[in-house]
Amino acid sequence: MADGDLPKKPALARDVNRIGNSFIFPPAVMDDIHIKSELGRYRMRGFSLFKKIPHWDDLTFLPGTLTRFVIEGYREKCETKTIIGPRAKKPIELDIPVYITGMSFGALSYEAKTALARGATMAGTATCSGEGGMIPDERRYSSKWFYQCIQSRYGFNPNHLVLADGCEFFIGQGCKVGLGGHLMGQKVTDQVAEMRSLPAGIDQRSPARHPDWLGPDDLALKIQEIREATDWQIPIQLKLGASRVYDDVRMAVKCDPDSIYIDGMEGGTGAGPHLATEDTGVPGMAAIRQARKAIDDLGKRGEITLVYAGGIRNGADVAKAIALGADAIAIGHSAMMALNCNKDIPEANYPEEVGAEPGYCYHCHTGRCPVGVATQDPKLRERLDPDAAAERVYNFLHTLTIEAQLFARACGKTYLHSLEPEDLAALTMEASAMAGVPLAGTNHTVGIADYHHL
Amino acid sequence: MASVSDAELKNMTQEERVTALGMRTEQLTGKSLYLEFDPDATENFTYPWAPDVDFNKRTELDCDGKTTTEVNSSIRALMKEGYGTVVLKNPRGMHSLGVGILSRLNLIVEGSTGYFAVGLIDGPNVRINGRVGWSCGENMMSGTILIEKNAGSTFGAAIRGGDLVCRGSVGSRTGIDQKGGTIIVGGDTGALSGFMMQRGRMVVCGNAGKNLGDSMYDGTIFVGGEIKSLGVDAIEAELTDLDKAWLTRKLTQYGLMPDKGVDHFTKVVAGKMLWNYDNLEPSEKKLIL
Repeated sequence: MADGDLPKKPALARDVNRIGNSFIFPPAVMDDIHIKSELGRYRMRGFSLFKKIPHWDDLTFLPGTLTRFVIEGYREKCETKTIIGPRAKKPIELDIPVYITGMSFGALSYEAKTALARGATMAGTATCSGEGGMIPDERRYSSKWFYQCIQSRYGFNPNHLVLADGCEFFIGQGCKVGLGGHLMGQKVTDQVAEMRSLPAGIDQRSPARHPDWLGPDDLALKIQEIREATDWQIPIQLKLGASRVYDDVRMAVKCDPDSIYIDGMEGGTGAGPHLATEDTGVPGMAAIRQARKAIDDLGKRGEITLVYAGGIRNGADVAKAIALGADAIAIGHSAMMALNCNKDIPEANYPEEVGAEPGYCYHCHTGRCPVGVATQDPKLRERLDPDAAAERVYNFLHTLTIEAQLFARACGKTYLHSLEPEDLAALTMEASAMAGVPLAGTNHTVGIADYHHL
Repeated sequence: MASVSDAELKNMTQEERVTALGMRTEQLTGKSLYLEFDPDATENFTYPWAPDVDFNKRTELDCDGKTTTEVNSSIRALMKEGYGTVVLKNPRGMHSLGVGILSRLNLIVEGSTGYFAVGLIDGPNVRINGRVGWSCGENMMSGTILIEKNAGSTFGAAIRGGDLVCRGSVGSRTGIDQKGGTIIVGGDTGALSGFMMQRGRMVVCGNAGKNLGDSMYDGTIFVGGEIKSLGVDAIEAELTDLDKAWLTRKLTQYGLMPDKGVDHFTKVVAGKMLWNYDNLEPSEKKLIL
């Protein structure tokens, strides 16, 4: 630099001549179109929805201060006992309000299924078989176990049905409402295929409709059939994906099950079309409220249990879902994270093995799960130590419970299920409208003239 | 894949690849689902916990004035007492009759039943003298069911084993999601029969409705009469001598053998075009299968 020259300004990081960027077509959307125009079909993936929707974070608790008094946080009792199907001869009694939802053997490895079963049993709660039939060791390790009667009836066996503590009719799942399950050929090993009576290695796309009944009138008879086959002992649960929740749940109640399970659009999947994951269903906070109203309107509160699942990550989510009206909570996605999903374990090399960094992996459908959870590959499965994994599942379930208790106590409840919508406020207009609770700091519930008289 | 390199896999035969990638049952630590029976054994054809019944011990049960639950629990009680032949009188279109019987039994129903007749069974031999409603023999594991008159829709939905025979005609979606066993229809069948069929055999002596064998994964359908139309990915195949021998044996067994023999049967199988996606993304690339 010669004397007297002005120092040169560094160039701007942005191109000042550029007129703008497309909001509708950002680079990710263009990449997606490029890939699909090569592929000629929808793109598959695991995980749950990626886009932003009104979620549990948009609600907040209104704990006791002077208008309510609080329960001593770490000492006084706060009951968590949860009963599914109180009318059944043998109701399912859980020590905690959270249980492990149905995830198939096939989507998950043998080690993952048994670790979930053992962790749940340690925590005094239930598991569910999922699609694809029972693996005997899962039943052995589960103290409470739902057997799923799913559309495909893969591996459905009356000899296993009579071993169940509850029978769950799978009618839809929140992640991809109205679609059947998927299992890509990479995971259809000969064992999985044999259990499902399928040719090994096919890209399995399950039916979306039950083979032996079509509408609610038939379903009522089908429920009777399962009750006859199980001697009227165990609770029957209907699992619905959240869509027209109020009307669907009214119809479900008319079919006279013991429990209704609503799966919000936040729910996950082992494999599904990306678009179905993004663009079907209703958020949990709206679904719970509508389902609760439908059950109450038909006078079945306390008789038919309402189970909610979808997007539950921590005890605050559990407590919020219970406050909005759920009687029990099921988790799938976060339980898999307790198993190690997306964790950077020393054995795994994410970028090389699945092409994604830990924390960004949604490749369950490829069967190459680097932590041995969502795979059938024996080498990958060795990466999951079932003993340690069971311990983690237990720890996580326990944490969810004490976190939920924390909010119940703060709101002055000695029973976790005493939480009510009145204990909540919404942080956004959308959440207020969907959850039917007032916007924080106001007496205004969006869409409702007088929220005290819902 | 973690265990073997692509180069190694390329030089292997398909059989070696399957083994190298650990897709064999013995390499997977999960245990077998079923109780194993010794193929040479002549005794012990039942589960050890099944009630010990004597086929020569016969009784009648009048369903009149009873609920389905009462009838079904009476059947169980009679089996515990050792009755091996139970005759149900006056079923009068009752739903869910005789479901969930998981051991040997001769069950004779003198009349017609409603929905889900003898569903979820494993072992019994059932004869129904009348007609049946929807989903008869649903999810049956083994045994035989013989219906003398007509049957409703979704006949033998998701059956996994045994012989399910209807001498008359059946409704639509017969053998939907069939996973094994044999369905035999003496008359005609409705639309979408064999929809998403997975395994087993279905024989229709009369005509078949439209979309026969739609999206079938596997299995075989034999039709004696006209097929209105084949469904997606269902194709005609050659009727072999083995098929003819099997058809002759099965149809003779149930007294449904046509006068003109079995040479006129059309055989329908899966085209296997829907088994896999046409293309895969790089992250989904399969190394085998």
